[in-house]
Amino acid sequence: MGGMDDLYREQILEHHRRPHNQGSLTAPSVSLEGRNPNCGDVINLQLQLDEAGVITDVAFSGRGCAISQAGTSLITDELRGKRVDEILALGSPFVMELLGVEVGPTRIHCALLGLETAQKAIASLSSK
Amino acid sequence: MGAWHNADGTLDPVKVRAAYPILSTTPGGRPLHYLDSAATAQRPQRVIDAVTKYLFTANANPHRGAYTLAQMATDGYEGARARIATYLNVPASELVMLGSATEALNLVARSWGKANLRRGDVVLVTEAEHHANLIPWQQITREMDADLEFIPVDDVTGEILWDRLDSLMKLKPKIVAVGHVSNVLGSIAPLTQIADAAHAVGALLCVDGCQAVANMPVSIPTTGADFYAFSAHKMGGLFSGGGLWARADLLAEMAPIETGGDMIRGVRLRDADFAEGTQRFEAGTPDASGAVALAAACDLLDEFGRDKIHAHESLMLERVLRELPEVLPDARILGPRDASQRAGLVSFSSDLVHAHDLAEILNRHGVAIRAGHHCAMPLHEQLELSASARVSVAPYTTNKDLDALFAGLRDARKVFEG
Repeated sequence: MGGMDDLYREQILEHHRRPHNQGSLTAPSVSLEGRNPNCGDVINLQLQLDEAGVITDVAFSGRGCAISQAGTSLITDELRGKRVDEILALGSPFVMELLGVEVGPTRIHCALLGLETAQKAIASLSSK
Repeated sequence: MGAWHNADGTLDPVKVRAAYPILSTTPGGRPLHYLDSAATAQRPQRVIDAVTKYLFTANANPHRGAYTLAQMATDGYEGARARIATYLNVPASELVMLGSATEALNLVARSWGKANLRRGDVVLVTEAEHHANLIPWQQITREMDADLEFIPVDDVTGEILWDRLDSLMKLKPKIVAVGHVSNVLGSIAPLTQIADAAHAVGALLCVDGCQAVANMPVSIPTTGADFYAFSAHKMGGLFSGGGLWARADLLAEMAPIETGGDMIRGVRLRDADFAEGTQRFEAGTPDASGAVALAAACDLLDEFGRDKIHAHESLMLERVLRELPEVLPDARILGPRDASQRAGLVSFSSDLVHAHDLAEILNRHGVAIRAGHHCAMPLHEQLELSASARVSVAPYTTNKDLDALFAGLRDARKVFEG
């Protein structure tokens, strides 16, 4: 049962119960809905960027499993102050480190939902 | 009563388990409590043996070749079709063997729909349909400029509001498409009532039988259906395989949507005449070994007795419905509370523990359940759920499996209540 205790550590459960950066921004630079089509996890992520391409604010709302919501909560804490190119360079090891646990293949999409949605939102900005 | 039953004639799931080798394996080092048979049933040893025997003793391309072995291959395939037809109480000449129930429902929509739907015609489905009995109708109504209308569900329980049927029939639908047993709600549709209402306005009834055929007695002629689709792997057959029963006169008029070898009478360079009957819809080399597997699965399910399977599964579901609210007080049970209105499954959600987390924690107890939208996203939207957890039972489900389920649920509650 050790694996379960790892996955549902108090830190993850705490982020799931009381996610950081909940809500919405008044004038976001970009909003994007992220979904796990197989599971139904969904988040609405909003980013505020300055002219230098630095994230100045972030907010999200969503529903889904503890891993998806805690993963998004943890990643949103990390986004503020980072440049878009820094965010685009982040990958799953970074999220695993934040979660403090190696998430298996059945849940990896839940864990990465926040980061991947942020990256897609940023990509959609640069393609405009 | 044979090898599978108790002295009182009821099904003994412990005896039944012996027929399914996978149930004594220990994936991840834990005994397996498989409660996901609605997604796919486990395979009996006898089904695999039947396939092995067919491929090792009768393998040749069916419907072709003049040699003895080819005739044996054809006999095996057509014998399997006849066995499956008997299982559903329909003539073999009306049973089209296909790759899946999805293929069967697409065939109805794309062949019958294309020939019969006109601009403004109405197709009526429920809001609870599996995507396989929804998207083909979305596609064909869009293509034909027809309208798709819905039998609604209760926003809280998800139960399909069949009492709306009469007023919806004023829309004069051309076809009504419903699941025999909902793969999320577990509820059994009142097919004869739906058929009567549909037929009274000249509509046909198309039934997705995937969740019914393995869990309860199904005699297609008594349902009133005009089309009936089913899937092999939910019955213990192989992944590939499914079928469509269609009323003979409808089948005779339907055009094939797949063309090629084995479905023709004569072919010239610029055109072709198609074969009569079911063969017209079975282009290419058929999945004969899949059909043989399904026939063997039908034999076994009939040995268990489908009324006895249904009775056993009802007992299992009754226990789930009774104990779930005690173990997980905030559980929101979808579908009817009464086990007698169900077949095979119970789905629920909990605000405390999301379905994925539940499935993850249950997995640590060796319990396999389904978490997600179960290919019924619109229903979950309607219920304002992102996912639900589904427990499904089979002839081999025991009280030990349910003990493990509830132990896992208690554990999940403890983790999330902190």
